[in-house]
Amino acid sequence: MPATPPQISPVEEQEKYLHDALGIVKAQAFHMKRALDKNKLMEALKNGSAMLAELRTSLLSPKSYYELYMAISDELRHLELYLVDEFQKGRKVPDLYELVQYAGNIVPRLYLLITVGLVYIKTNSALRRDLLKDLVEMCRGVQHPLRGLFLRNYLLQCTRNVLPDAPDSDEGDNPEGTVKDSIDFVLMNFAEMNKLWVRMQHQGHSRDRQSREREREELRILVGTNLVRLSQLESVTLGTYQKSVLPGILEQVVSCRDAIAQEYLMECIIQVFPDEFHIQTLTPFLKSCAELEPDVNVKNIVICLMERLAAFSRRSDASGGEGSDVLQEVELFEVFSTQVSSIIANRQYLPPEDMVALQVALVNLALKCYPDRIDYIDKVMLSTVEASITLLWTWRLGLEHLESHSAVAKELQKLLKIPLDNYNNLLMVLKLKHYAGLMQHLDYHGRKSLSIYILNNALENETVVPTAEEAEQALTLLSTLFSDKNEQSVAEVDMEELAEEQCLLARFIHQLRSEITDDQYLILTTARQILNTGGPLRIKYVLPPLIFQAYQLAYKFRDQKDDKWEKKCTKIFQFCHQTITALVKAELADLPLRLFLQGALAIDQIRFENHETVAYEFMSQAFSLYEDEISDSKAQLAAITLIVGTLEQISCFSEENSDPLRSQCALAASKLLKKPDQCRGVATCSHLFWSGRSLAKNGEENRDGKRVVECLKKGIRTAKQCMDVSVQIQLFVELLNHYVYFFEKGNEQIDADILNQLVKKIKIELANLECSDESEQITKHFNNTMAHLKLRMESPDDKDVYRGVNLNPDLAEDDNSSKKVEAK
Amino acid sequence: MLVLVLGDLHIPHRCSSLPAKFKKLLVPGRIQHILCTGNLCTKESYDYLKTLASDVHVVRGDFDDNLNYPEQKVVTVGQFRIGLSHGHQVVPWGDPESIALIQRQLDVDILISGHTHKFEAYEHENKFYINPGSATGAYNALDPSITPSFVLMDIQNTTVVTYVYQLVGEDVKVERIEYKKN
Amino acid sequence: MSFFGFGQSAEIEVYLDGQENRKTAEVKTEDGKKERLYLYYDGETVSGKVNVCLKKPGSKLEHQGIKIEFIGQIEMFYDRGNHHEFISLVKELARPGDMIAHSSYPFEFSCVEKPFEVYTGANVRLRYFLRVTVIRRLADIMKEVDIAVHTLSSYPEMNNSIKMEVGIEDCLHIEFEYNKSKYHLKDVIVGKIYFLLVRIKIKHMEIAIIKRETTGSGASTFTENTTIAKYEIMDGAPVRGESIPIRVFLAGYELTPTMRDINKKFSVRYFLNLVLMDTEDRRYFKQQEITLWRKGDKLRKPNLQAPAIMAGTQNLQNTAQQYQQTDDKEDKDEDKEGEEEEVQQPVKEDFLRVQGSQSTDKLDQSGDPFEQREESPKESPENQIHNMTREAGDGQNDNGNDSLE
Repeated sequence: MPATPPQISPVEEQEKYLHDALGIVKAQAFHMKRALDKNKLMEALKNGSAMLAELRTSLLSPKSYYELYMAISDELRHLELYLVDEFQKGRKVPDLYELVQYAGNIVPRLYLLITVGLVYIKTNSALRRDLLKDLVEMCRGVQHPLRGLFLRNYLLQCTRNVLPDAPDSDEGDNPEGTVKDSIDFVLMNFAEMNKLWVRMQHQGHSRDRQSREREREELRILVGTNLVRLSQLESVTLGTYQKSVLPGILEQVVSCRDAIAQEYLMECIIQVFPDEFHIQTLTPFLKSCAELEPDVNVKNIVICLMERLAAFSRRSDASGGEGSDVLQEVELFEVFSTQVSSIIANRQYLPPEDMVALQVALVNLALKCYPDRIDYIDKVMLSTVEASITLLWTWRLGLEHLESHSAVAKELQKLLKIPLDNYNNLLMVLKLKHYAGLMQHLDYHGRKSLSIYILNNALENETVVPTAEEAEQALTLLSTLFSDKNEQSVAEVDMEELAEEQCLLARFIHQLRSEITDDQYLILTTARQILNTGGPLRIKYVLPPLIFQAYQLAYKFRDQKDDKWEKKCTKIFQFCHQTITALVKAELADLPLRLFLQGALAIDQIRFENHETVAYEFMSQAFSLYEDEISDSKAQLAAITLIVGTLEQISCFSEENSDPLRSQCALAASKLLKKPDQCRGVATCSHLFWSGRSLAKNGEENRDGKRVVECLKKGIRTAKQCMDVSVQIQLFVELLNHYVYFFEKGNEQIDADILNQLVKKIKIELANLECSDESEQITKHFNNTMAHLKLRMESPDDKDVYRGVNLNPDLAEDDNSSKKVEAK
Repeated sequence: MLVLVLGDLHIPHRCSSLPAKFKKLLVPGRIQHILCTGNLCTKESYDYLKTLASDVHVVRGDFDDNLNYPEQKVVTVGQFRIGLSHGHQVVPWGDPESIALIQRQLDVDILISGHTHKFEAYEHENKFYINPGSATGAYNALDPSITPSFVLMDIQNTTVVTYVYQLVGEDVKVERIEYKKN
Repeated sequence: MSFFGFGQSAEIEVYLDGQENRKTAEVKTEDGKKERLYLYYDGETVSGKVNVCLKKPGSKLEHQGIKIEFIGQIEMFYDRGNHHEFISLVKELARPGDMIAHSSYPFEFSCVEKPFEVYTGANVRLRYFLRVTVIRRLADIMKEVDIAVHTLSSYPEMNNSIKMEVGIEDCLHIEFEYNKSKYHLKDVIVGKIYFLLVRIKIKHMEIAIIKRETTGSGASTFTENTTIAKYEIMDGAPVRGESIPIRVFLAGYELTPTMRDINKKFSVRYFLNLVLMDTEDRRYFKQQEITLWRKGDKLRKPNLQAPAIMAGTQNLQNTAQQYQQTDDKEDKDEDKEGEEEEVQQPVKEDFLRVQGSQSTDKLDQSGDPFEQREESPKESPENQIHNMTREAGDGQNDNGNDSLE
């Protein structure tokens, strides 16, 4: 022996213990079998007892003990088979049942007793009932959890094929036993095993708790097998299940007051027994759930059951069988709803998120089993609201909302999303009276993210909201999106995020629409009223859609032409005017300017009573914005170009109105800051005098060639003022194109001479231009223009028109020609 | 080489989204270039185009906020020079002669413009002009009946085959127009 | 028996009437061996024939008379010289004279009283024997023949169960119950232990059957305790509310009837010792005297014990409740129950019957055929269960008090 024993790890130690024990088992089993071969029963029993004595060990972990147990129970099979064989041959060993009880140690004694008991039962069924009773009672002697669990497991394994399964009857005494005896037997064994299993929790040092719980996990199947056995009894009817099986199990589960056991066993019950039974025993089962230990995850249990029954309900509906009758009879939802409420009420320590998770499950159940009962969904929402209020008052006193990162808020989100995901119809959700109230319990971020979810759902499903009332509900539901978080300063707002949210909301506005025009008007006014509250940052996104919807509505009124259509249109444009003005007040310029222009276009098209005045108002508002609010030169050019383009399209103005507007445009163009901009601006304005229309000409084009040429000349003058030669030439080329355009349109104020002079001038300047990308571009532009002219001149139709145009002028005479252009 | 041409989405001002039938047609990975005539209005729409093809060219429409979009742009695809402009700057709007001015200025084989929300494709003085219309069929004050449309150009050597997709009622109709460069 | 090796000598042979059919019983001799002896009961006539065979036929045997004695005596091993004969009967078989040939003499002790059972213990032996003496001048020729005597008792009229609540304050409270206070030698002890309070870590619990032999009196009293059996009835630690069944078959152990104050010389009494061992190997025990008695075969009702074998423990359920009831009532209940089951379950007989004679044959001498690997009980500090609260006092339990300190 070495002085110090070598250090070995606990794992190695286990292996060694197990190995040693298995060695002894093997040896004793060998002797036992040899003794049996020689018909020496007493000797075999002694060897068997010695083998079984290995199970008295306290050194093994549950895993190792299990291995040992398996090895030994294999060997005991030999003994059992031998004895059954002997008994069947008629060679009964008298008093064997007593004989094995002389074993001094209880563990080997009881294993032998069970083995022998089984042999007796197999060979004489008249003893069955009493033997089963005796065995299960005697096993009480082993109170050591691990050893007791395995002993009773052995009992359960041995008896699995001999449990009486005849229906119970009142007539007389039946020594073979009935299913009732089996139930009593298994229930008793179950109760005892469960007690042993639970007791493991309270043994040893508290620091080993984790490993102890792991060990218990490993052993739980042994306890659960009892329930499996009960479920395998064919003569267990619904009645017996209700009367004895379930109450027996539940009593034990509840009274053991152990969270691990309760959680496992309740789930076991759900898994092993048929749904037909569950449906009829919901109340007692759920009542027991309410009585479980505080740290039991009751939520999982109840949800597990709900999900099973929901699936069952759908299966039965599909098959239309017996199950569906039962389902109608048993108010699944009502029962669950009542019991869930009482669980929530009674279980003080139920985590709030679990409380909501239960409601989630309840909603899922309702949707699966009663898809058309929206009132059920609403009921859940209501009870969740009530529970949340309690929660806020009791748990987080002083807080108004559930913080979005909290587990309960996440569950609440889940709950609120279900109706959306299921119906994919916002209108259905709006029918839930308590939905909005429940949503209020989320905090700002929570409400916002849910609002976005709602929006996306409505957009994806193209849900149309057809009444003002529903529109109001919907927007109120989403109101978080257009309200600021308390005391949040503008600087804190993430503009990108805001833009994203508001775009969603803006898109959704297009889905607030009714085919009935008057309703649509109501929808729009209602929506504006709500959306206006969003403040300057948000209305920029959400008002334009309203305005465009309003414009479109005006067209509809026009097309319907009812008695009051003109009044209605006036009202609409008033509405639009107000709305755009709101944007102006929000210190926006470009956007309202464009919206006014769009309005003017629409008014011109619709031509309701007094439209000219209204159109003029819109145009003049656009001009005011241009003049007062737009200062950037680039923006100015863009704006005036757009105003000109718009005005060019409008034909409703009388001379009285149209003339000032055109002049105003030309004036504004000529006042632009940069010369090239001025040049281009006036050139654009020239079109107002040609293709622009007004009442004076009965809607025909103005074709005021003189004013056109004035504009273009002004352009040439301005271009000449440009210091940059290449810019100047570029502008000349552009102006040449405009000249050509009007020349081709038949403006008699423009003749071949003018074109020739301009071409000559450009050619001379181009020749002086330094070579660069820019000059190349200008040259190409010019060449393209020349090519266009050439093409036209060569075309047989236009030949006469182009007479006199010289594409290759004599460049020497440049002075004269330029003077000529000016003179004209 | 497939080039998607579209524009005037006006989301969210005038429309809530692209027609679902168009979205189904527009799958990532098939299109090499996207030419957009503008009025995307929001970044989301631009991001959406980016998911369809990495090469996206956008010019500025009258309702585009994004100041970085140019007014005009020239893109070379294969042997074609393609000009891109929204068209609201051209007065009168949609006037072929006026648009031709831009073609000459940009020196392009194909000029693409929008703004009218009305699909057009025509040859004019040997040049090709495309207006893809509005992909969402967005409202236009001047035309109460807008058909949502976009264009797909298949460019091979000197030929461009233009497919126009139009949503008529519930159906997507496709027309084919061929243009050959001289 | 010849002193000098010459002269006439004779051999004595005792033949007992009907010995071919007489039952025998195993009786331990002083040196621990066992022999089979013819079995007699109290009041039974002992008769037979004495044959005297001459070793040297032809020559005569001179004697002063031949007698046969029937003796019942108690021998104390520490006092060899003094035998206490509690019975001594003499019959003269022949007058003094000469014996020429083999002779036979019939004898009869009619209806002889045999008040005690044969017994061989640690310090004392009680035996019955016949002694034939051929009286001679120099050396008598003598022959002793031992017989076995069993004292049969009838079913005790009073046989209360033993119930008791015992404990150590705030540590351990248990109630235990043995179904009877008087057991016959092939009986089954059925009982239950109910744990009312457990604050110690119990490792296991066993029941020991202890035999206490007391000899002598006054200052020279010797007491010898022998553990006849050790029987584990519980493995592991129970919790409050647990009840543990007890079932001990007595037939397998070497037991004698309880003997009280036999001829004022000795007593043999039996105790059930309930021992609890905790994880630190401390032992807690409680002794209860039980009375053992021998049941006559003829009196036996064959089915009487059937229920005791399996169902017995269940009769004791709800011990705590039963405690509230009066003893009398319980007795009646139990009796009734026994009878009912006897009638109802005749089928069980084929394997449940305990045939006393058979079981002794089967059993190994050690008494426990399975206890091969059991190490000898370790002597460890023993804590008696004190603070006993005794309930349901019946006279039988008074002695139990003695073991408590």
